Amino acid sequence: MKEMLRLVLVLTLIAAGAGLILSLVEGATRAPIAEQRRQETLRALSAVLPPTDNSPDEDTVSLITGKDRRGRTLTRTFFRGRQAGELSGVAFTVVAPDGYSGNIAIMVGIDPQGTVVGVEILNHAETPGLGDKITQPWFKQMFKGRSLKNADWRVKKDGGEFDQITGATISPRAVVGAIHDGLEFYKAHRDELLVPAGGDQP
Amino acid sequence: MSLVKGFTKGLWRENAVFRLLLGLCPALAVTTSAVNGLGMGFATTFVLVCSNIVVASLRKVIPARVRIPSFIVIIASFVTVVQLCMEAYFYDLHKALGIFIPLIVVNCLILGRAEAYASRNPLLPSVIDGAGMGLGFTLALFVLGSVRELFGVGTLFGVAVFGAGYQPLILLILPPGAFIVMGLLLAGMNRIEEFRK
Repeated sequence: MKEMLRLVLVLTLIAAGAGLILSLVEGATRAPIAEQRRQETLRALSAVLPPTDNSPDEDTVSLITGKDRRGRTLTRTFFRGRQAGELSGVAFTVVAPDGYSGNIAIMVGIDPQGTVVGVEILNHAETPGLGDKITQPWFKQMFKGRSLKNADWRVKKDGGEFDQITGATISPRAVVGAIHDGLEFYKAHRDELLVPAGGDQP
Repeated sequence: MSLVKGFTKGLWRENAVFRLLLGLCPALAVTTSAVNGLGMGFATTFVLVCSNIVVASLRKVIPARVRIPSFIVIIASFVTVVQLCMEAYFYDLHKALGIFIPLIVVNCLILGRAEAYASRNPLLPSVIDGAGMGLGFTLALFVLGSVRELFGVGTLFGVAVFGAGYQPLILLILPPGAFIVMGLLLAGMNRIEEFRK
């Protein structure tokens, strides 16, 4: 019995010590981690939006896009860039669920009329050397100036006009499809996004 | 065993990856570039040295019957520390290594050293052992990552090495390439060992 108590006591003390250290480290790194994530969003925003003089990450609107399989509502956040108070561009994240390996998260920036200004790949797990070429500048540049009206949103192999990558058609197809869906969503909800500054706070 | 020998054994004679074939999961999975190999290696070395320090210090306090859960709690704590610090200060590396940082917990190299060495030896030799084993692991991952990046992409640390005409051997970057490079390196090391005898 005494031996049993000792086992419990030692293990409890070790776990308590570990918990204490972890809470200290978590507290010390929380602010830098939040800042890193914010910087990443800002980098992506400045890459895909036309020039702005506001902070797009503080001028956002969230819209409900649907429900997931467990019935939780899914929202999409729209970042609004302004110049001299006028809306100059909108950026939002789309997720392509049909990549070669896992989801591809893409930040899309458009002007108020719905023409793509820039796209940025935020997250992906595509094959290095093949599918990961979607992160290269020439691939991202293809979308610039395209809109629902002036482009056929399919890769060339499927009869559209976007170049696929040699040896990797699935990744570009997923990216093109996801951006297309994002543009459709914007077109359908444009009026809700053009409400005055303020919107919701992140 | 002298301290110097205790350190150098991890680098070559008992190299975790090339000689003991321990910790192969991260060694094969993350070594798509030299930087990833180094980052993973140093993260593992840090955890290994810290867990060896704590395990060696507490070796007389921890009862044998709960030693494995104790070691795992200690190792998991340091891994979480590494993960948080990496995300806060080396964000790009954190994104590149992703899920493999938390998986350091189950790297059998670390539990193996805690069980086989640190729990039976004083503090100083345990630190030396952890550092040697960790740097040996880092070295192995660096070599694997360099070879795969050099021939699979044609770059080293992201800098193009071959001319523009070089056609990369993409196979080496893909998972099967990890096994092929690993096999060739092992064959090479066995050959060197034969010569030394």
